[in-house]
Amino acid sequence: MIPDFLTIAEASTLIAKRELSPVELVESRLARIERLNGKLNSFIRVLREPALAAARAAEAEITAGNCRGPLHGIPIGLKDIYETRGVPTTGHSKILIDHVPQQDATSVRRLTDAGAIVLGKLATHEFAFGGPSFDLPWPPARNPWDTSRFTGGSSSGTGAAVAAGLVLGGTGSDTGGSIRGPAALCGLAGLKPSYGRISRTGILPLAFSLDHAGPMAWTAEDCAIMLQAMAGHDPADPASADCPVSDYRAALSGDVRGLRIGLIRHFYESDNPADEATRQGIAAAVKVFEDLGCSVRELRLSPLAEWAACGVLIMLTEGYAVHQATLRERFGDYGEAFRDRMALAALISGGDYVQAVRRRRELVAEFMTAMADLDLAVTAAAPSEAPAIDAVGKFAIFERPMLTMPFNVTGTPAMSVCCGYGATGLPLALQLAGKPFDEATVLRAAHAYETATPWRSVRPRLDG
Amino acid sequence: MGNGIVKTQGMTRAEVETGLARAGLDVPEHERLEIAAAVHFIEEMAERVRGKRAMSAEPAHIFPPPGV
Repeated sequence: MIPDFLTIAEASTLIAKRELSPVELVESRLARIERLNGKLNSFIRVLREPALAAARAAEAEITAGNCRGPLHGIPIGLKDIYETRGVPTTGHSKILIDHVPQQDATSVRRLTDAGAIVLGKLATHEFAFGGPSFDLPWPPARNPWDTSRFTGGSSSGTGAAVAAGLVLGGTGSDTGGSIRGPAALCGLAGLKPSYGRISRTGILPLAFSLDHAGPMAWTAEDCAIMLQAMAGHDPADPASADCPVSDYRAALSGDVRGLRIGLIRHFYESDNPADEATRQGIAAAVKVFEDLGCSVRELRLSPLAEWAACGVLIMLTEGYAVHQATLRERFGDYGEAFRDRMALAALISGGDYVQAVRRRRELVAEFMTAMADLDLAVTAAAPSEAPAIDAVGKFAIFERPMLTMPFNVTGTPAMSVCCGYGATGLPLALQLAGKPFDEATVLRAAHAYETATPWRSVRPRLDG
Repeated sequence: MGNGIVKTQGMTRAEVETGLARAGLDVPEHERLEIAAAVHFIEEMAERVRGKRAMSAEPAHIFPPPGV
């Protein structure tokens, strides 16, 4: 009997020992999708037959002694902005409902080359921005911990599918928090790597200078495994970083003694006040890090509203540029949340966009100076547990400055890590942020924290 | 929100509607109302980024010459 929940690392070990068949694993996930997706809306398209064919091929290769690595035979899902050859990639929008790419996104090809098995395309906010929306071709994803609650977005389907055990890992994208937000609200590990670490080629863009691709999974170790496959230079992406890729899994030594951590308390105590449960969860996590041998001191940066203003203006105007022509021709074919946010974007002047980009240089310099004698920063990933899905308005992203946006502005790695559960049993999260291209330290700290705490043993209770 | 920033008067409903029309967006009436009510978010953010800075303050992405 295959467990309802397995991490990539666990499944990979069982597959390597021939105690688990990729075919049986994929069949079990497909059956679980059949039972649960109707109330989670995490998949908008299930690729049953191709997945089973890929699983049989994986099994044959592994049996013949040709295991490609820890992702071989592992079922994953792709946010439906990741172009997938021969499979509609819609951005969860009527606009691209018939769009069938002729080739895979670079990161998709790298995952399948590593042996991962794509079970299907996952729900997203429209074009990674407009949601949660109830007026799109498919309904919004629901939080497996409580299906009346928001998953977070925009990688909403990935959050739901991983948290419900429908896949063992999934891809997300993060322009202002769209990996870390759903990871936080769905109790997962979600990594936004450094800008340029993972190719953007073949991923539908929202904002060219803020878009990051990244993994979402149950654990930091699983994120490390996925990142290892996805990362690396891609000449087709003009922003792709041509620098060495670390061995992320080898970096998970468990030893974080001597790491210097800056706690950005004001972000979540005054700038965008988190609820008491989140504050206590972070305070307890700081104690765990100290007990593990880290030093923690206060870190003060510009107010969160400064970071949010900079990032949001850039995100809006670059996103508007992507959709400018189509918005003129087919405004009503977009969902209301997306189109009205873009309408606001249309009112931003070119001068103010450049001022935001000038402010960006200042804020990046500030962060790099602040981190000179630190290895990591810690702050909140979300201000509270998941809210009710129908309480999230179309302009909600503007009402409070986003806790995640600073690290899109800087382009530095940041990760959401579960730090406990609130009184209602919903996940709480903290955020770990690192230095440019030092995903290894971020993952090492997250892994050490997960190992020292009981949170990774908790799973949502799902009927079916 | 800082010194020396350029403050502009809040957009009126008419200005919002003109802006949307200039952008060629066919926005339904009820959404135009909501957008006009929300435009202050954009204006507040724009005021934040119009900080006092030297004329020579560069943006974060300048054009790198080809071949570099």
